[in-house]
Amino acid sequence: MIIATDLCLRLDERSILDHVSFTVARGESVALVGPNGSGKTSILRCLLGLVPFEGCVLVHGHDAVRDPIAVRTLLSYVPQKAAFGDAPAAEVLAFVATLRRIDRARIPETLRAVGLEAHANERVRTFSGGMQQRLSLALALLADTPVLLLDEPSASLDHEGQQMFFDIVARLRKRGHTLVLASHRPEEVECLTDRVLHLDRGRMVGDAAPASKVARVIALSARGERR
Amino acid sequence: MRLREITLVAAREVRDALRSRWFVLAAGCFLALSLGLSMLGLAGAQRSGLAGFDRTTASLLNLALLFVPLLTLSLGGLGIAGELEDGSLAMLLSQPITRFEAYAGKYLGLLATVSASILVGFGATGVIVGVSAGGGNVRGFVTLVALTLLLGAATLSIGTLLSVALRTRARVIGAAFAVWLLLVYVSDLGTIGLTIARNLGPAQIFILALLNPMQQARVLGTLTLSQRLDVLGPVGIFGLDQFGMVGLTVLLLSVLVATAAAPLACGYVLFRRTPVT
Repeated sequence: MIIATDLCLRLDERSILDHVSFTVARGESVALVGPNGSGKTSILRCLLGLVPFEGCVLVHGHDAVRDPIAVRTLLSYVPQKAAFGDAPAAEVLAFVATLRRIDRARIPETLRAVGLEAHANERVRTFSGGMQQRLSLALALLADTPVLLLDEPSASLDHEGQQMFFDIVARLRKRGHTLVLASHRPEEVECLTDRVLHLDRGRMVGDAAPASKVARVIALSARGERR
Repeated sequence: MRLREITLVAAREVRDALRSRWFVLAAGCFLALSLGLSMLGLAGAQRSGLAGFDRTTASLLNLALLFVPLLTLSLGGLGIAGELEDGSLAMLLSQPITRFEAYAGKYLGLLATVSASILVGFGATGVIVGVSAGGGNVRGFVTLVALTLLLGAATLSIGTLLSVALRTRARVIGAAFAVWLLLVYVSDLGTIGLTIARNLGPAQIFILALLNPMQQARVLGTLTLSQRLDVLGPVGIFGLDQFGMVGLTVLLLSVLVATAAAPLACGYVLFRRTPVT
Protein backbone atom coordinates (compact mmCIF):
# COMPACT_ATOMS: atom_id res chain seq x y z
CA MET A 1 0.00 0.00 0.00
CA ILE A 2 1.19 3.52 -0.78
CA ILE A 3 0.21 6.40 1.49
CA ALA A 4 1.29 9.88 0.43
CA THR A 5 0.40 12.63 2.87
CA ASP A 6 0.68 16.37 2.31
CA LEU A 7 3.38 16.19 -0.34
CA CYS A 8 4.88 19.59 -1.05
CA LEU A 9 7.71 20.12 -3.49
CA ARG A 10 9.47 23.32 -4.47
CA LEU A 11 12.19 23.39 -7.10
CA ASP A 12 14.06 26.56 -8.06
CA GLU A 13 11.65 28.68 -5.98
CA ARG A 14 8.68 27.26 -7.91
CA SER A 15 5.92 25.26 -6.27
CA ILE A 16 5.63 21.90 -8.05
CA LEU A 17 3.41 19.99 -5.62
CA ASP A 18 1.06 21.66 -3.17
CA HIS A 19 -0.20 19.47 -0.30
CA VAL A 20 -0.94 16.40 -2.39
CA SER A 21 -2.33 13.39 -0.53
CA PHE A 22 -3.51 10.04 -1.85
CA THR A 23 -3.44 6.33 -1.12
CA VAL A 24 -3.01 3.37 -3.43
CA ALA A 25 -4.16 0.01 -2.14
CA ARG A 26 -2.09 -3.13 -2.56
CA GLY A 27 -2.73 -4.58 -6.02
CA GLU A 28 -4.52 -1.46 -7.22
CA SER A 29 -3.68 0.26 -10.49
CA VAL A 30 -3.89 4.04 -10.38
CA ALA A 31 -3.41 6.62 -13.12
CA LEU A 32 -2.03 10.08 -12.53
CA VAL A 33 -3.42 12.42 -15.17
CA GLY A 34 -3.25 16.13 -15.77
CA PRO A 35 -1.81 18.73 -18.11
CA ASN A 36 1.90 19.14 -18.66
CA GLY A 37 3.58 20.51 -15.56
CA SER A 38 0.75 19.39 -13.26
CA GLY A 39 3.13 17.33 -11.10
CA LYS A 40 2.59 13.73 -12.30
CA THR A 41 6.29 12.92 -12.73
CA SER A 42 7.17 14.82 -9.55
CA ILE A 43 4.88 12.56 -7.52
CA LEU A 44 6.72 9.50 -8.85
CA ARG A 45 10.05 11.17 -8.01
CA CYS A 46 8.84 11.84 -4.47
CA LEU A 47 7.86 8.18 -4.07
CA LEU A 48 11.39 7.23 -5.15
CA GLY A 49 13.04 9.85 -2.95
CA LEU A 50 14.74 11.47 -5.94
CA VAL A 51 13.67 14.98 -4.93
CA PRO A 52 13.66 16.62 -1.49
CA PHE A 53 10.00 17.02 -0.52
CA GLU A 54 7.94 17.88 2.53
CA GLY A 55 5.25 15.53 3.72
CA CYS A 56 5.30 11.79 4.15
CA VAL A 57 5.44 8.81 1.80
CA LEU A 58 4.91 5.31 3.13
CA VAL A 59 5.29 2.27 0.88
CA HIS A 60 4.16 -0.96 2.54
CA GLY A 61 4.77 0.79 5.86
CA HIS A 62 8.31 1.98 5.05
CA ASP A 63 9.07 5.70 5.10
CA ALA A 64 10.61 6.89 1.80
CA VAL A 65 12.90 9.38 3.57
CA ARG A 66 13.95 7.39 6.63
CA ASP A 67 14.17 3.99 4.96
CA PRO A 68 14.87 4.63 1.26
CA ILE A 69 16.50 1.26 0.64
CA ALA A 70 13.46 -0.69 1.86
CA VAL A 71 11.18 1.52 -0.24
CA ARG A 72 13.26 1.26 -3.41
CA THR A 73 13.53 -2.50 -2.96
CA LEU A 74 9.75 -2.55 -3.35
CA LEU A 75 9.64 -0.15 -6.31
CA SER A 76 10.55 -0.27 -9.97
CA TYR A 77 10.62 2.85 -12.09
CA VAL A 78 10.04 3.17 -15.81
CA PRO A 79 10.81 6.82 -16.59
CA GLN A 80 9.55 8.92 -19.46
CA LYS A 81 13.04 9.12 -20.92
CA ALA A 82 15.28 6.28 -19.87
CA ALA A 83 19.08 6.61 -19.75
CA PHE A 84 21.64 4.00 -18.84
CA GLY A 85 25.03 5.41 -19.82
CA ASP A 86 27.00 3.61 -22.49
CA ALA A 87 26.95 0.00 -21.30
CA PRO A 88 25.58 -2.89 -23.37
CA ALA A 89 21.96 -3.83 -22.55
CA ALA A 90 22.88 -7.12 -20.89
CA GLU A 91 25.41 -5.34 -18.67
CA VAL A 92 22.80 -2.81 -17.53
CA LEU A 93 20.53 -5.68 -16.52
CA ALA A 94 23.42 -7.55 -14.89
CA PHE A 95 24.28 -4.49 -12.78
CA VAL A 96 20.70 -4.17 -11.50
CA ALA A 97 20.47 -7.95 -10.98
CA THR A 98 23.62 -7.89 -8.82
CA LEU A 99 22.47 -4.82 -6.92
CA ARG A 100 19.09 -6.40 -6.18
CA ARG A 101 20.55 -9.90 -5.64
CA ILE A 102 18.55 -11.39 -8.51
CA ASP A 103 19.63 -14.51 -10.40
CA ARG A 104 21.45 -13.36 -13.56
CA ALA A 105 20.11 -16.41 -15.40
CA ARG A 106 16.85 -14.48 -15.74
CA ILE A 107 18.43 -11.81 -17.94
CA PRO A 108 18.01 -13.55 -21.33
CA GLU A 109 14.33 -14.35 -20.73
CA THR A 110 13.72 -10.76 -19.59
CA LEU A 111 15.33 -9.37 -22.73
CA ARG A 112 13.25 -11.80 -24.79
CA ALA A 113 10.06 -10.59 -23.08
CA VAL A 114 10.65 -7.03 -24.30
CA GLY A 115 11.97 -8.04 -27.73
CA LEU A 116 15.58 -7.01 -27.13
CA GLU A 117 17.25 -10.43 -27.10
CA ALA A 118 19.03 -9.70 -30.40
CA HIS A 119 20.43 -6.46 -28.96
CA ALA A 120 21.79 -7.81 -25.67
CA ASN A 121 25.39 -6.92 -26.44
CA GLU A 122 24.77 -3.61 -28.14
CA ARG A 123 25.52 -0.36 -26.38
CA VAL A 124 22.46 1.29 -24.95
CA ARG A 125 23.53 4.73 -26.19
CA THR A 126 22.97 3.50 -29.75
CA PHE A 127 19.38 2.44 -28.93
CA SER A 128 16.38 4.37 -30.21
CA GLY A 129 14.01 5.97 -27.68
CA GLY A 130 11.64 3.03 -28.04
CA MET A 131 14.39 0.47 -27.43
CA GLN A 132 15.56 2.36 -24.35
CA GLN A 133 11.98 2.33 -23.10
CA ARG A 134 11.83 -1.43 -23.67
CA LEU A 135 15.05 -1.84 -21.71
CA SER A 136 13.61 0.26 -18.92
CA LEU A 137 10.61 -2.06 -18.83
CA ALA A 138 12.99 -5.04 -18.83
CA LEU A 139 14.66 -3.66 -15.70
CA ALA A 140 11.28 -3.44 -14.01
CA LEU A 141 10.42 -6.98 -15.07
CA LEU A 142 13.76 -8.29 -13.86
CA ALA A 143 13.36 -6.64 -10.47
CA ASP A 144 9.81 -8.05 -10.23
CA THR A 145 8.92 -5.64 -7.45
CA PRO A 146 5.41 -5.47 -5.93
CA VAL A 147 5.03 -1.81 -6.98
CA LEU A 148 5.68 -0.35 -10.45
CA LEU A 149 5.93 3.37 -11.16
CA LEU A 150 5.40 4.06 -14.84
CA ASP A 151 5.94 7.53 -16.27
CA GLU A 152 4.37 7.78 -19.73
CA PRO A 153 5.93 4.40 -20.45
CA SER A 154 4.59 3.89 -23.95
CA ALA A 155 5.31 7.40 -25.23
CA SER A 156 8.33 6.37 -27.34
CA LEU A 157 7.03 2.94 -28.35
CA ASP A 158 5.86 1.94 -31.83
CA HIS A 159 2.54 0.11 -32.30
CA GLU A 160 4.09 -3.31 -31.71
CA GLY A 161 5.95 -2.00 -28.67
CA GLN A 162 2.76 -0.51 -27.23
CA GLN A 163 0.95 -3.82 -27.67
CA MET A 164 3.81 -5.64 -25.93
CA PHE A 165 3.74 -3.07 -23.13
CA PHE A 166 -0.05 -3.42 -22.68
CA ASP A 167 0.28 -7.23 -22.52
CA ILE A 168 3.10 -7.09 -19.98
CA VAL A 169 1.38 -4.59 -17.72
CA ALA A 170 -1.95 -6.46 -17.95
CA ARG A 171 -0.12 -9.63 -16.89
CA LEU A 172 1.51 -7.81 -13.98
CA ARG A 173 -1.89 -6.51 -12.86
CA LYS A 174 -3.31 -10.02 -12.89
CA ARG A 175 -0.42 -11.13 -10.71
CA GLY A 176 -1.36 -8.51 -8.12
CA HIS A 177 1.33 -5.88 -8.70
CA THR A 178 0.49 -2.33 -7.64
CA LEU A 179 0.77 0.17 -10.49
CA VAL A 180 1.06 3.94 -10.50
CA LEU A 181 0.92 5.20 -14.06
CA ALA A 182 1.45 8.79 -15.16
CA SER A 183 -0.10 9.15 -18.58
CA HIS A 184 -1.68 11.40 -21.16
CA ARG A 185 -3.14 8.53 -23.17
CA PRO A 186 -6.82 7.80 -22.55
CA GLU A 187 -6.60 4.27 -23.98
CA GLU A 188 -3.71 3.44 -21.68
CA VAL A 189 -5.56 4.74 -18.63
CA GLU A 190 -8.76 2.97 -19.68
CA CYS A 191 -7.11 -0.40 -20.23
CA LEU A 192 -4.59 -0.48 -17.44
CA THR A 193 -5.93 1.35 -14.40
CA ASP A 194 -8.73 1.08 -11.85
CA ARG A 195 -8.73 4.66 -10.65
CA VAL A 196 -7.66 8.07 -11.89
CA LEU A 197 -6.10 10.81 -9.78
CA HIS A 198 -6.40 14.21 -11.41
CA LEU A 199 -3.70 16.79 -10.94
CA ASP A 200 -3.65 20.42 -11.94
CA ARG A 201 -0.85 22.88 -11.15
CA GLY A 202 0.55 20.68 -8.44
CA ARG A 203 -2.77 20.06 -6.68
CA MET A 204 -4.93 16.99 -6.49
CA VAL A 205 -8.22 18.09 -8.04
CA GLY A 206 -10.07 14.83 -8.32
CA ASP A 207 -10.21 11.13 -7.68
CA ALA A 208 -12.39 9.80 -10.49
CA ALA A 209 -14.70 6.84 -10.35
CA PRO A 210 -13.94 4.25 -13.04
CA ALA A 211 -17.06 5.05 -15.11
CA SER A 212 -16.18 8.67 -15.62
CA LYS A 213 -12.42 8.41 -15.84
CA VAL A 214 -11.93 8.34 -19.60
CA ALA A 215 -14.01 11.44 -20.20
CA ARG A 216 -12.05 13.30 -17.54
CA VAL A 217 -8.71 12.10 -18.91
CA ILE A 218 -9.57 13.33 -22.37
CA ALA A 219 -10.79 16.66 -21.00
CA LEU A 220 -7.69 17.20 -18.90
CA SER A 221 -5.35 16.12 -21.70
CA ALA A 222 -7.03 18.59 -24.04
CA ARG A 223 -6.53 21.35 -21.48
CA GLY A 224 -2.89 20.37 -21.29
CA GLU A 225 -2.52 20.64 -25.03
CA ARG A 226 -3.85 24.18 -25.06
CA ARG A 227 -1.34 25.47 -22.49
CA MET B 1 26.83 2.21 4.47
CA ARG B 2 27.23 -1.05 2.57
CA LEU B 3 30.61 -1.79 1.02
CA ARG B 4 29.15 -4.24 -1.51
CA GLU B 5 26.96 -1.56 -3.08
CA ILE B 6 29.79 1.01 -3.10
CA THR B 7 32.04 -1.53 -4.81
CA LEU B 8 29.38 -2.33 -7.41
CA VAL B 9 28.95 1.34 -8.32
CA ALA B 10 32.74 1.85 -8.37
CA ALA B 11 33.19 -1.18 -10.64
CA ARG B 12 30.51 0.19 -13.00
CA GLU B 13 32.40 3.50 -13.09
CA VAL B 14 35.64 1.69 -13.99
CA ARG B 15 33.93 -0.27 -16.76
CA ASP B 16 32.45 2.95 -18.17
CA ALA B 17 35.89 4.61 -18.11
CA LEU B 18 37.48 1.67 -19.94
CA ARG B 19 34.70 1.70 -22.50
CA SER B 20 34.94 5.43 -23.16
CA ARG B 21 38.70 5.01 -23.77
CA TRP B 22 39.69 8.13 -21.82
CA PHE B 23 41.62 5.80 -19.54
CA VAL B 24 43.77 4.50 -22.40
CA LEU B 25 44.18 8.04 -23.74
CA ALA B 26 45.22 9.43 -20.34
CA ALA B 27 47.66 6.57 -19.64
CA GLY B 28 49.13 6.97 -23.16
CA CYS B 29 49.55 10.73 -22.65
CA PHE B 30 51.26 10.25 -19.28
CA LEU B 31 53.59 7.65 -20.82
CA ALA B 32 54.43 9.72 -23.89
CA LEU B 33 54.95 12.96 -21.95
CA SER B 34 57.01 11.39 -19.18
CA LEU B 35 59.21 9.49 -21.65
CA GLY B 36 59.56 12.63 -23.74
CA LEU B 37 60.61 14.63 -20.68
CA SER B 38 63.07 11.92 -19.70
CA MET B 39 64.68 12.13 -23.15
CA LEU B 40 64.74 15.94 -23.04
CA GLY B 41 66.39 15.72 -19.62
CA LEU B 42 69.72 14.93 -21.27
CA ALA B 43 69.41 17.49 -24.02
CA GLY B 44 70.97 20.18 -21.83
CA ALA B 45 73.99 17.93 -21.35
CA GLN B 46 74.43 17.65 -25.17
CA ARG B 47 73.58 13.96 -24.97
CA SER B 48 70.75 11.89 -26.33
CA GLY B 49 68.87 8.96 -24.79
CA LEU B 50 66.92 8.53 -21.57
CA ALA B 51 67.92 10.33 -18.38
CA GLY B 52 68.18 8.35 -15.13
CA PHE B 53 65.60 8.40 -12.34
CA ASP B 54 66.85 11.67 -10.77
CA ARG B 55 66.29 13.87 -13.82
CA THR B 56 63.16 11.98 -14.87
CA THR B 57 61.62 12.44 -11.42
CA ALA B 58 62.38 16.17 -11.43
CA SER B 59 60.75 16.54 -14.86
CA LEU B 60 57.76 14.41 -13.83
CA LEU B 61 57.03 16.64 -10.85
CA ASN B 62 56.16 19.56 -13.14
CA LEU B 63 54.26 17.30 -15.53
CA ALA B 64 52.19 15.84 -12.68
CA LEU B 65 51.46 19.28 -11.23
CA LEU B 66 50.16 20.54 -14.56
CA PHE B 67 48.30 17.64 -16.13
CA VAL B 68 46.94 15.52 -13.28
CA PRO B 69 44.73 18.32 -11.86
CA LEU B 70 43.51 19.16 -15.37
CA LEU B 71 42.43 15.54 -15.89
CA THR B 72 40.92 14.99 -12.46
CA LEU B 73 39.07 18.32 -12.20
CA SER B 74 37.36 17.59 -15.54
CA LEU B 75 36.61 13.94 -14.81
CA GLY B 76 35.35 14.63 -11.29
CA GLY B 77 33.30 17.50 -12.67
CA LEU B 78 31.61 15.39 -15.32
CA GLY B 79 31.03 12.43 -13.00
CA ILE B 80 27.76 13.45 -11.39
CA ALA B 81 26.72 16.40 -13.56
CA GLY B 82 26.88 14.25 -16.72
CA GLU B 83 24.64 11.55 -15.27
CA LEU B 84 22.33 14.12 -13.74
CA GLU B 85 21.84 15.74 -17.15
CA ASP B 86 21.33 12.59 -19.19
CA GLY B 87 19.01 10.98 -16.63
CA SER B 88 21.12 7.93 -15.78
CA LEU B 89 21.62 9.14 -12.20
CA ALA B 90 17.85 8.93 -11.69
CA MET B 91 17.95 5.33 -12.91
CA LEU B 92 20.80 4.53 -10.51
CA LEU B 93 19.15 6.20 -7.52
CA SER B 94 15.82 4.49 -8.20
CA GLN B 95 17.55 1.24 -7.28
CA PRO B 96 17.87 0.12 -3.65
CA ILE B 97 20.98 2.13 -2.95
CA THR B 98 21.60 5.16 -0.71
CA ARG B 99 22.91 8.47 -1.98
CA PHE B 100 26.06 7.99 0.06
CA GLU B 101 26.71 4.61 -1.59
CA ALA B 102 26.16 6.08 -5.06
CA TYR B 103 28.34 9.13 -4.32
CA ALA B 104 31.17 7.18 -2.69
CA GLY B 105 31.06 4.50 -5.39
CA LYS B 106 31.29 7.04 -8.19
CA TYR B 107 34.20 8.89 -6.55
CA LEU B 108 36.12 5.71 -5.73
CA GLY B 109 35.54 4.28 -9.21
CA LEU B 110 36.90 7.44 -10.82
CA LEU B 111 39.79 7.56 -8.38
CA ALA B 112 40.67 3.93 -9.18
CA THR B 113 40.68 4.67 -12.93
CA VAL B 114 42.67 7.89 -12.62
CA SER B 115 45.17 6.12 -10.35
CA ALA B 116 45.45 3.22 -12.79
CA SER B 117 46.13 5.59 -15.71
CA ILE B 118 48.84 7.40 -13.69
CA LEU B 119 50.38 4.10 -12.57
CA VAL B 120 50.35 2.66 -16.09
CA GLY B 121 51.75 5.85 -17.68
CA PHE B 122 54.40 6.69 -15.11
CA GLY B 123 55.02 3.04 -14.20
CA ALA B 124 55.84 2.15 -17.81
CA THR B 125 58.19 5.13 -17.94
CA GLY B 126 59.85 3.92 -14.72
CA VAL B 127 60.42 0.47 -16.15
CA ILE B 128 61.77 1.85 -19.45
CA VAL B 129 64.06 4.35 -17.69
CA GLY B 130 65.20 1.66 -15.23
CA VAL B 131 66.08 -0.79 -18.01
CA SER B 132 67.60 1.77 -20.42
CA ALA B 133 69.34 4.29 -18.16
CA GLY B 134 69.27 2.69 -14.72
CA GLY B 135 70.68 4.18 -11.56
CA GLY B 136 69.55 7.11 -9.49
CA ASN B 137 66.93 7.63 -6.85
CA VAL B 138 64.30 4.95 -7.54
CA ARG B 139 62.70 5.65 -4.17
CA GLY B 140 62.25 9.30 -5.10
CA PHE B 141 60.54 8.26 -8.34
CA VAL B 142 58.16 5.93 -6.50
CA THR B 143 57.43 8.64 -3.89
CA LEU B 144 56.65 11.10 -6.65
CA VAL B 145 54.18 8.66 -8.23
CA ALA B 146 52.50 8.21 -4.81
CA LEU B 147 52.39 11.99 -4.37
CA THR B 148 50.80 12.34 -7.81
CA LEU B 149 48.10 9.87 -6.79
CA LEU B 150 47.38 11.89 -3.65
CA LEU B 151 47.24 15.14 -5.64
CA GLY B 152 44.89 13.38 -8.08
CA ALA B 153 42.61 12.34 -5.18
CA ALA B 154 42.51 15.94 -3.88
CA THR B 155 41.74 17.57 -7.22
CA LEU B 156 39.26 14.82 -8.12
CA SER B 157 37.32 15.62 -4.97
CA ILE B 158 37.33 19.34 -5.88
CA GLY B 159 35.99 18.32 -9.33
CA THR B 160 33.30 16.19 -7.67
CA LEU B 161 32.23 19.13 -5.51
CA LEU B 162 31.96 21.31 -8.64
CA SER B 163 29.91 18.59 -10.30
CA VAL B 164 27.34 18.47 -7.50
CA ALA B 165 27.25 22.24 -7.01
CA LEU B 166 26.92 23.26 -10.66
CA ARG B 167 24.91 20.28 -12.02
CA THR B 168 25.37 20.85 -15.75
CA ARG B 169 28.25 19.72 -17.95
CA ALA B 170 28.76 23.12 -19.57
CA ARG B 171 29.01 24.98 -16.27
CA VAL B 172 31.20 22.31 -14.70
CA ILE B 173 33.71 22.24 -17.57
CA GLY B 174 34.03 26.04 -17.44
CA ALA B 175 34.44 26.01 -13.66
CA ALA B 176 36.93 23.10 -13.74
CA PHE B 177 39.13 25.01 -16.20
CA ALA B 178 38.84 28.18 -14.09
CA VAL B 179 39.85 26.28 -10.93
CA TRP B 180 42.77 24.70 -12.78
CA LEU B 181 43.98 28.13 -13.91
CA LEU B 182 43.52 29.41 -10.37
CA LEU B 183 45.55 26.57 -8.86
CA VAL B 184 48.30 26.56 -11.50
CA TYR B 185 48.82 30.24 -12.27
CA VAL B 186 46.53 32.69 -10.53
CA SER B 187 47.25 31.59 -6.96
CA ASP B 188 51.00 32.14 -7.49
CA LEU B 189 50.42 35.56 -9.02
CA GLY B 190 47.88 36.37 -6.32
CA THR B 191 50.31 35.42 -3.58
CA ILE B 192 53.02 37.57 -5.15
CA GLY B 193 50.57 40.47 -5.51
CA LEU B 194 49.32 40.17 -1.94
CA THR B 195 52.84 39.87 -0.64
CA ILE B 196 53.80 43.12 -2.35
CA ALA B 197 50.57 45.00 -1.60
CA ARG B 198 50.13 43.90 2.00
CA ASN B 199 53.73 43.26 2.99
CA LEU B 200 52.93 39.69 3.96
CA GLY B 201 55.35 37.91 6.23
CA PRO B 202 56.75 34.42 5.59
CA ALA B 203 54.17 32.82 7.91
CA GLN B 204 51.28 34.37 5.99
CA ILE B 205 52.76 33.35 2.65
CA PHE B 206 53.23 29.84 4.03
CA ILE B 207 49.54 29.69 5.06
CA LEU B 208 48.46 30.94 1.61
CA ALA B 209 50.57 28.23 0.01
CA LEU B 210 48.94 25.61 2.22
CA LEU B 211 45.55 26.49 0.72
CA ASN B 212 46.63 25.29 -2.72
CA PRO B 213 46.97 21.51 -3.16
CA MET B 214 49.41 22.05 -6.00
CA GLN B 215 51.72 24.08 -3.76
CA GLN B 216 51.46 21.39 -1.11
CA ALA B 217 52.42 18.75 -3.66
CA ARG B 218 55.15 20.95 -5.16
CA VAL B 219 56.92 21.48 -1.84
CA LEU B 220 56.48 17.81 -0.90
CA GLY B 221 57.85 16.71 -4.26
CA THR B 222 60.79 19.07 -3.99
CA LEU B 223 61.56 17.78 -0.48
CA THR B 224 61.62 14.28 -1.94
CA LEU B 225 64.04 15.26 -4.68
CA SER B 226 66.49 17.48 -2.88
CA GLN B 227 67.52 18.47 0.61
CA ARG B 228 68.99 21.72 -0.68
CA LEU B 229 67.15 24.66 0.81
CA ASP B 230 67.56 26.95 -2.20
CA VAL B 231 65.39 24.77 -4.45
CA LEU B 232 62.53 24.84 -1.95
CA GLY B 233 61.79 28.54 -2.36
CA PRO B 234 60.87 30.90 0.49
CA VAL B 235 57.74 28.97 1.51
CA GLY B 236 59.59 25.67 1.76
CA ILE B 237 62.52 27.25 3.60
CA PHE B 238 60.15 28.87 6.13
CA GLY B 239 58.31 25.58 6.63
CA LEU B 240 61.55 23.67 7.05
CA ASP B 241 62.76 26.24 9.59
CA GLN B 242 59.56 26.05 11.61
CA PHE B 243 58.72 22.37 11.50
CA GLY B 244 61.85 20.52 10.44
CA MET B 245 62.00 17.96 7.65
CA VAL B 246 59.72 15.34 9.22
CA GLY B 247 57.30 17.91 10.67
CA LEU B 248 56.92 19.74 7.36
CA THR B 249 56.41 16.49 5.45
CA VAL B 250 53.74 15.31 7.91
CA LEU B 251 52.05 18.73 7.88
CA LEU B 252 51.93 18.93 4.08
CA LEU B 253 50.71 15.34 3.75
CA SER B 254 47.99 15.99 6.32
CA VAL B 255 46.86 19.16 4.57
CA LEU B 256 46.82 17.36 1.20
CA VAL B 257 44.71 14.53 2.66
CA ALA B 258 42.40 17.15 4.23
CA THR B 259 42.19 18.88 0.84
CA ALA B 260 40.98 15.58 -0.63
CA ALA B 261 38.50 14.93 2.18
CA ALA B 262 36.94 18.37 2.74
CA PRO B 263 35.53 19.07 -0.77
CA LEU B 264 34.36 15.47 -0.97
CA ALA B 265 32.44 15.84 2.30
CA CYS B 266 31.00 19.22 1.21
CA GLY B 267 29.97 17.65 -2.10
CA TYR B 268 28.12 14.90 -0.27
CA VAL B 269 26.27 17.38 1.93
CA LEU B 270 25.02 19.08 -1.26
CA PHE B 271 24.36 15.79 -3.05
CA ARG B 272 22.06 14.58 -0.24
CA ARG B 273 19.65 17.40 -1.06
CA THR B 274 20.17 17.56 -4.82
CA PRO B 275 16.94 17.05 -6.78
CA VAL B 276 17.50 14.27 -9.30
CA THR B 277 15.18 14.97 -12.20
